[in-house]
Amino acid sequence: MLPPLRQLNRFVPRHGGLGVFPILSVVICLGLGFASSTAQSPPDFKKDIQPVLVKYCYDCHGDGMSKGKVTFDDFKTEEELFQKHDLWLAVLKNVRAGVMPPDDKARPTIDEIHLLEKWIKKASFKIDSANPDPGRVTVRRLNRAEYRNTVKELLGVDFDTEGEFPPDDTGHGFDNIGDVLTLSPMLLEKYLDASKKVVLKVVPLVSAVAAEKMVHGSRFSGEDTDRQNKPGSLSLSYYKQASISNTFKVDLAGDYVAVLDFVAAEKFVDDVFDYNKCRLVFKIDGEEVLNKEYVREGNKSFQLVFPRSWEPGEHHFEVQIEPLTPDEKQVRSLAIKLNGVNVRGPMEKSRWVPPANYHTFFPRKVPADVRQKRAYAHGLLSAFATKAFRRPVDRESAERLSLLAEQTYSQPGKTFESGVAQGMIAILASPRFLFREESAEKPGDGSTYAFLDQYSLASRLSYFLWSSMPDERLFQLAASGKLRENQADEVQRMLKDPKSQAFIRNFSGQWLQSRDVDSVQIDSSAVLARETARSAAANPRENRGTNSNRPVGFGRNRVQLDDELRRAMKSETESYFGYIVQSNRNVLELIDSDYTFLNERLARHYALTNLGVTGSDFRKVTLPEGNPRGGILTHGSVLTVTSNPTRTSPVKRGLFILENILGTPPPPPPPDIPALEEASKGTADRIPSLRETLELHRSKPVCSSCHNRMDPLGLALENFNALGMWREKEQEQPIDASGKLMTGETFTDIRDVKKILTREHSREIYHTLSEKLLTYALGRGLEYYDVDVVDDLVRRLEKENGAFSAALMGVIESTPFQKTRLETNESKKTSVKTASNQLNN
Amino acid sequence: MKSSSKHETNTNFLSGKGFNRRNFLRGIGACIALPALESLKPFQSLAAVTSASGLATTATGAPLRTAFVVFPNGSIPSAWWPKSEGIDFEMSPTLQPLAESRRHFQLMGGLDHMEAVGGMDGGGDHARGNSVFLTGVRLKKSATDIRAGVSIDQLIASKVGQTTRLPSLELTCDSVRKSGGCDSGYSCAYQYNISWSSAKTPVTPESNPRLVFERLFGAGTPLERGRNLELRQKEQRSLLDFVMDDARRMKNRLGVGDKDKLDQYLTAVREIEQRIQQSERFGKVKDPGVETPAGIPNSHAEHIQLMYDILVTTFQTDSTRVASLLLAHDGSNRSFSDIGISEGHHDLSHHQNKEDRIKKVAQIDLWYATQFAKFLEKMEAVKDIDGKSLLHNSMIVYGGGNADGNRHTHNNLPIILAGAGGGTLSTGRYVSFGGKPTTNLFLTMADRMGVTGVERFGDSTGRLGAV
Repeated sequence: MLPPLRQLNRFVPRHGGLGVFPILSVVICLGLGFASSTAQSPPDFKKDIQPVLVKYCYDCHGDGMSKGKVTFDDFKTEEELFQKHDLWLAVLKNVRAGVMPPDDKARPTIDEIHLLEKWIKKASFKIDSANPDPGRVTVRRLNRAEYRNTVKELLGVDFDTEGEFPPDDTGHGFDNIGDVLTLSPMLLEKYLDASKKVVLKVVPLVSAVAAEKMVHGSRFSGEDTDRQNKPGSLSLSYYKQASISNTFKVDLAGDYVAVLDFVAAEKFVDDVFDYNKCRLVFKIDGEEVLNKEYVREGNKSFQLVFPRSWEPGEHHFEVQIEPLTPDEKQVRSLAIKLNGVNVRGPMEKSRWVPPANYHTFFPRKVPADVRQKRAYAHGLLSAFATKAFRRPVDRESAERLSLLAEQTYSQPGKTFESGVAQGMIAILASPRFLFREESAEKPGDGSTYAFLDQYSLASRLSYFLWSSMPDERLFQLAASGKLRENQADEVQRMLKDPKSQAFIRNFSGQWLQSRDVDSVQIDSSAVLARETARSAAANPRENRGTNSNRPVGFGRNRVQLDDELRRAMKSETESYFGYIVQSNRNVLELIDSDYTFLNERLARHYALTNLGVTGSDFRKVTLPEGNPRGGILTHGSVLTVTSNPTRTSPVKRGLFILENILGTPPPPPPPDIPALEEASKGTADRIPSLRETLELHRSKPVCSSCHNRMDPLGLALENFNALGMWREKEQEQPIDASGKLMTGETFTDIRDVKKILTREHSREIYHTLSEKLLTYALGRGLEYYDVDVVDDLVRRLEKENGAFSAALMGVIESTPFQKTRLETNESKKTSVKTASNQLNN
Repeated sequence: MKSSSKHETNTNFLSGKGFNRRNFLRGIGACIALPALESLKPFQSLAAVTSASGLATTATGAPLRTAFVVFPNGSIPSAWWPKSEGIDFEMSPTLQPLAESRRHFQLMGGLDHMEAVGGMDGGGDHARGNSVFLTGVRLKKSATDIRAGVSIDQLIASKVGQTTRLPSLELTCDSVRKSGGCDSGYSCAYQYNISWSSAKTPVTPESNPRLVFERLFGAGTPLERGRNLELRQKEQRSLLDFVMDDARRMKNRLGVGDKDKLDQYLTAVREIEQRIQQSERFGKVKDPGVETPAGIPNSHAEHIQLMYDILVTTFQTDSTRVASLLLAHDGSNRSFSDIGISEGHHDLSHHQNKEDRIKKVAQIDLWYATQFAKFLEKMEAVKDIDGKSLLHNSMIVYGGGNADGNRHTHNNLPIILAGAGGGTLSTGRYVSFGGKPTTNLFLTMADRMGVTGVERFGDSTGRLGAV
């Protein structure tokens, strides 16, 4: 189809050389089909695409016009224009979302849209569906969660990375993005300290110690306390008489040491002191060995040592507390927290035994011969390094490690075990542990993309689904080269493993921002006051700004966003998402369903008290017919996180839906936002409702273009206050949650919106979920060449009725997850020189 | 909040939750009177050496310190700026708490950071305000491809850092990081870091007072600390040799795009090595004689004051002469319940010219100024080795990268330069520079620290005139 002559005049070249053809974006109505880049040659630009573009877009984006800084006729060559991938990606996204052309302009037909998509994918992105580009992931450093889990898997130590390491930088909404995770000198110091702490916590440094047995406080029994079988402390109040005892059996005669281990505990109260005293008496076999008064000691811990000589048989410990100051005020819950009595012995060296865990780390007796010692160390460290580096370690590295160990244990006073421990510390500080290095298999056919090797695949799977290192089975499969062919089964196994909770928690916590529930600041009293107050003057509470954590008023008003409630909200979202994953539900149930997960506290908060939910455990609860809850948009976590400290924020909520559910975020606000004037028309005696205030966004075109997309969605949720509770009124006015979406659908409240989203916008939901899941799995942002991969995921979801496994397996089987680009001589380019490179070796 | 020290062996003020900062201060007080002169004596000789080289030393041979304290979201200009300039300026409402210290600082007007203005980049004034403040460069707008520039404190530290055990110290009172994306497409790295050692490497600040203290003086009780620190350093050394080797080999195996990450690792290793070597040149650590803080306090005010206290101790023991403290990231939406403000700071700062909101923001500005005033009082109270106060021998910048928080402007930034810089600064006045880059001020400060060979910094156009 030839463009009309009149329009041809526009194509007079602006610069020398080839004519420049303005490209116009094409509208795709939502929910319609989309083209795949299959075998045929791409549509011809001049013949097929250009006329469409001229018709729908040129008014604003060509011929001197450059609305939104998008213009298509500012280039020298056609090829240069086609290579502007960012531009074409934006075109594709905006057109698919129906954002472009705007509401009031003509829209192209489905066929025209298909054509454009096909052209963009082929001619600009040059996607070759037979051999797609897997992209490149920058080598990833373990983030805090991954470090913690990996160390736990390796050594059984739970290291508090949240407390010790600084927060990880995030990108694209996740904290596992390779490009973004940096490593400062301070962080490296922390890694060095951490590896030392962790290794020394479990690895024994000597080969024999006096036998040790801990008689836990909880195993003491008395009048008021029963012996328990689990290890733990026993708290004995300063204010109450107590007498408890334990019988301990000794097998061998000899010298022993009994260490009484306790803490003089208290609950801190600001500016108030507790002057109570108690007497602590400790008897061994009826003999009083300790009789001392204790005052408030501020959580000081004590280990009091009592040597004894014992014959075999039963021996008794007795602990007594006598309150000494009955008339003193009891304000700090002073108590003796009895950890227990640690019995060591016999102390005679010939009776010494290997420490606990010794054979876990040192299966054999340490050889005396120097060479054999070195070989033993070599073997131990080689095995540990293989696990820690997540692939077999080369001989040379193992040599260097055993040398390091030898350097240590050759020093006077140092044991063999401490040398090996030093080697283990070095392993955990090495970049091969801290970074996830990946290798590729040789492609053989000379192509530039290759499969990742099986060890890399094992790590990708385990860090994706467990946020941790591969286990024994994954490792074995990788070693025998059979992992890839069995990956579907392995994924099933991995999901069933409780470690998959890490995926559920970390992915949903960041995608749905439920992690932020821990720290969001909401002033409960101000929020609740909004529902009843008629005007600012009549509402003293709002202006007073009370402490948000103190319960206010009675009945409904006694609500506080305390730790328990925050945890409950987070658990609801985690359990919910976990259910969809584990039971392989249709992912659209994330938006709309007839169930949720509750415990007693949350049920009470949601005013769902007649469903028989009791106790603190979470369980699946079917909601009553017509209940507005069901779906993450009605979760307390999402609702509080998208609110301001004193009120809801429909804009934030609308933005949340656009960004995380529909995948069509608005551009950032313009740099010079004019100050809004008071929106007080006709509302002289009361504070205007948020809906009324937001009307201002509609009145100015510079604001409405984006706010027309956000505000209606957020306003539909106005029935949920900033604490996630349902309300009918705000400021004594009934809440109006109706509206109209930018795509034309009207609704009366959130129930309608959920139906609209799942029925009319399922494709966008699938698309967004696929993008987020792929980003999280790969650890990089998505580029233009990933467009087809995501489209394939969406296709698969649609084919399998939205089952979550479609997305999950789709991601795992996708090219970017399975393959990588090979570094060839042509592709090597100079890397950006940073200041630090000056110090390069 | 998070206190992981299990073994509390000492007295009352270390009880778990409510760390009593008053007692910590009293501890510092004990340090001031007696051991101050004694503990600083060894540094006199070092100072004699450095004064010859002119590095970070005053004319009287005392250490010269510089620190950058950054607050978020700008301020209410009408409450911040006094009505008239000069020496007799009437203290503005927001700066009332600083009235007692007026002889010790100068209020600087007309300083800009035009690289923080949006322009082509559109939204993101908080990410920009935050990271442009000490770097003066145009940040790369990206969520993943980070590029800033070297910050002034790191530049100074790279030249004078070898005069002290620690080349520099970076602190923050922001211990919670939001998940999801950050300001308008900018990486969160821009918003939570103000110090940058290179264009791609932010220097992560420490938010836990206990961990800072332990890094400076060692872990454990005051008796064990010094020895623990030495042992730690020795073991670190041999470890570092090993991992350095590993890293070099790994770098050779990696592709082009990955080498930068390994470079970060290698740089970090080298820095630690250098720090250990440097530390050894200074002999044993002088114990400051105060208790190790228990952890991060519950209240923001306590957290801030604790960090200020650590700065004082750090300067007093000459552990470093360069520091930065990020009070809260720009864009911070913290609420201030102890002054009755429950709304978020950032949200309030977009006050839309509503009286009551403006008042609340001004109260928050006042609150931050109050905290800073206490810090200045402490710095003034500590005597330095030349008989002058610590504050006299320091240059402390107190400011932020946003001016009018409501409109996100970046000219006429609220900036105070406290301290006499060893007697070289004209304190006790409100002076306006009529629209000069803030980086000009920073260059001037670098000059005072003895840094040479730096022609330009960020968007500087020269040195700042009469400072």
